[in-house]
Amino acid sequence: MKPATIPAAVSGTRDLRLDLFRGLALWFIFLDHVPDNIVSWLTVRNYGFSDATEIFVYISGYTAVIAYSRMMKRQGWVRAASRVYRRVWQLYVAHILLFVAFIAQIAWISTKLDASALIEEMQLLGLGQDPFRAMLEAAFLKFRPVNLDVLPLYIVLLAVFPIVLPIVVRWPKAVLLTSITLYAATCHFDWNLAAYPGDKVWFFNPMAWQVVFYTGAVMAVMAPRLVWMDRWRWPVSVLAFVYLLFAAFIALSWHYNSLERLIPEIVARQIYPIDKTNVDILRFLHFLAIAWFVRLAIPTDASYLRWRLFEPLRRCGEHSLQIFCVGTFLALSAEIVEAHFDGSILSQVVVSISGIVIMTAFAYAATWFKVETDLKAA
Amino acid sequence: MNLRRLILGALLVTVLPAVTCLADDAKCRASRRLLDLGNPLEGARSALAEKKELRVVAMGSSSTQGYGASNPAFAYPAQLKVNLDKLLPGIDVHVFNKGVGGQDADEEVERMKADVSEHKAQVVVWQVGTNSAIRRDPLEKFAAKLRAGIDIGRALGPDFVLMNLQYVPAVVALPDEEEYARVMAEVAKEKNVGLFRRFEIMRAWYNDGMPYAQFVTNDGLHLNDFGQKCIGKLLSMSILNSVKPPQLTVEPKTRN
Repeated sequence: MKPATIPAAVSGTRDLRLDLFRGLALWFIFLDHVPDNIVSWLTVRNYGFSDATEIFVYISGYTAVIAYSRMMKRQGWVRAASRVYRRVWQLYVAHILLFVAFIAQIAWISTKLDASALIEEMQLLGLGQDPFRAMLEAAFLKFRPVNLDVLPLYIVLLAVFPIVLPIVVRWPKAVLLTSITLYAATCHFDWNLAAYPGDKVWFFNPMAWQVVFYTGAVMAVMAPRLVWMDRWRWPVSVLAFVYLLFAAFIALSWHYNSLERLIPEIVARQIYPIDKTNVDILRFLHFLAIAWFVRLAIPTDASYLRWRLFEPLRRCGEHSLQIFCVGTFLALSAEIVEAHFDGSILSQVVVSISGIVIMTAFAYAATWFKVETDLKAA
Repeated sequence: MNLRRLILGALLVTVLPAVTCLADDAKCRASRRLLDLGNPLEGARSALAEKKELRVVAMGSSSTQGYGASNPAFAYPAQLKVNLDKLLPGIDVHVFNKGVGGQDADEEVERMKADVSEHKAQVVVWQVGTNSAIRRDPLEKFAAKLRAGIDIGRALGPDFVLMNLQYVPAVVALPDEEEYARVMAEVAKEKNVGLFRRFEIMRAWYNDGMPYAQFVTNDGLHLNDFGQKCIGKLLSMSILNSVKPPQLTVEPKTRN
C-alpha cells in the first residue's frame, strides 16, 4: 500500500471534530425525537433540508475508515473484518436491548398510570395483534417501532463495510462513484428493503443512505489530499452559502405562509417532495454545504476543540452507541412526562435539559469505566 | 447596533412560530359544509343498528400507512378508531389499515377485492389521488380506475368514502392537482359514494394562516402527527354524521 493512501488520522491524533459533532448530532436527535419540543428549534433541521441523521451517518463512515484501516494495516484484513463484525454484533445487541427497554417502558408506564391511551398506543404499534410475529420480525430488524430506525441502518451499513474497506483505502474515487451510482439507481428504481407490518419498507433506506456513509469514508481516506479543493475555496464557498440561504428560506417558508407564497410554483415543483427515506439530493447537498464550512472554519487542531465547555459534547460523541440508545429511550420518557403536563412549554424545556444532562452523565460514566478497564489492562 | 437589531429580528422570526404552534386541539377544524360526505352511509347505518359494530377498511397509500407520523398510532386510520370509539359508545369499532406506501389507484384496484372481503368491511375509506397526480396519470384513466375500484368494492357490500388529495407543497406545486380533486368529486357523485374533502379542508387551514409546518412533515408531502390526528378526528365526525340521524350529528368547531 502506498503511504499516501493511508488516512492522516491513522497517524494517531484523534480528530476531535468527529467526537464533537457526533455528540452534537446525538443531542439533536434526542431533541428532535421529543414531539412538539420548543427546544428542538435549536437543531439544524429547522434551518434547511438536512438534519442530524446526515451528520451521524457521515461521521460514522468517516470514523469507520479511521478505526478499521489502521487495524487492517497493522493486523491484516481478517482481523479488521472480524473487529467490524464484533462491532456489528454490539450494535445488534444494543438495538434489541433498546427495543425491549422501549416496549417495557411503555408497558410499565401504562400499567402504573393505568393510562389506557398508552396501552392502546402500544397495541397500535403492531405488538398487540400478533406479538410473537412482531418479536420475530424485530429480531430480523424488520419491526422497528417509533424512532428505532437509525441503528438498523447503521448495522446494515457496517455489515457490508469489511468488503469495501480494502477497496476504499486504495481506490476511494472508485468507491465514491459506485456509491453514487447505487444511490441514483435506488432512487430511480425505487428499491428498498421490506419491513413489518404489512408492506412497509425501511424508513432509512440503506441502499440510499450508504451514499452519506461512504462519502464520509472517502473523505476520511482523501483528507490529506483535499488541499486541491482550496484552489476553488471562493467559488465553492459562495455557491454553498447561496444554497444554504436558499434552503433556510424554504425551511422558514414552512412557518410563514407569506414567505411560502413568494416561492414560484416552478421552483416548488422541482424541490418537492424532499424525501427522507431515500435521502433526497437536496438534503445531501445541504449537508455537504454545511460540512464544507465546518471544514473551512474548524481546523483539526483548533485549540478550542479541547475547551472544557465542549467536553460534554465530546464525551457523548466518544460513546455514541450508548448515548444514542439512552437518548432514544429518554425521548419516549420525555414524551410521556410532557404529555402529563399537557405539553406546557416549561415541561418541554425541563425534559429537554434533563435528557441532555442524563445523556452526558452516562457519557462520563462510560469514560470512567473505560479508563478503569484500560488501567487494569495495562 | 444595527447588526444587533438584525440578529434580534432574525431570532424573533425563527422562534416565534414555535411559540404559536401550540394548542393543537383548537387548530383542528373544518367548516360543516366541508365535512359533509354528500351521501348517507346506509349500509353502515343499518350495521350499526343491527350488529352494534362498525368495520372500516382504510384503503390507500402512504398517508393511510402513516408515513410521516412519529408513531403508527397517530396515522389517521388508528385515530379514526380512537375517535369513533369515543363518539359511538357501545359500538364495536374496527378500523383495518390497508395503506401501502407508494401505491396509486391501479395497484389499489388490484387488491381491492381481497382487502375488502378479508375484513368484511361495512365502510371502505379509499384515500387516493395524490400518487396518481404526482405520476401525472391521464385523468380519464384515473377516473376509470376509481369507477373500477368502487364497483369491485361495492359488489362485496360496503359503503364507500373517497378521500381526496392532501393539500401540501408537493401537491400544490403540480400543474393540475385540482383536476384530480375535481375528477374524484365527479366520480363520487356519479357513483353515489361519499367524498371526504381532505384537499379543501387542508386548503382552508392554509388560507386561514396555518403554516405548513403545523401539519406537514418537512418532506413537503406527508402529514405530520398533527395532520394525521386531525384528519382522523374530522373523518370520524364526517362518518358519524352520515350514519346517524340528523338530530344526533356532531357539530364541528366552525371557523371564525
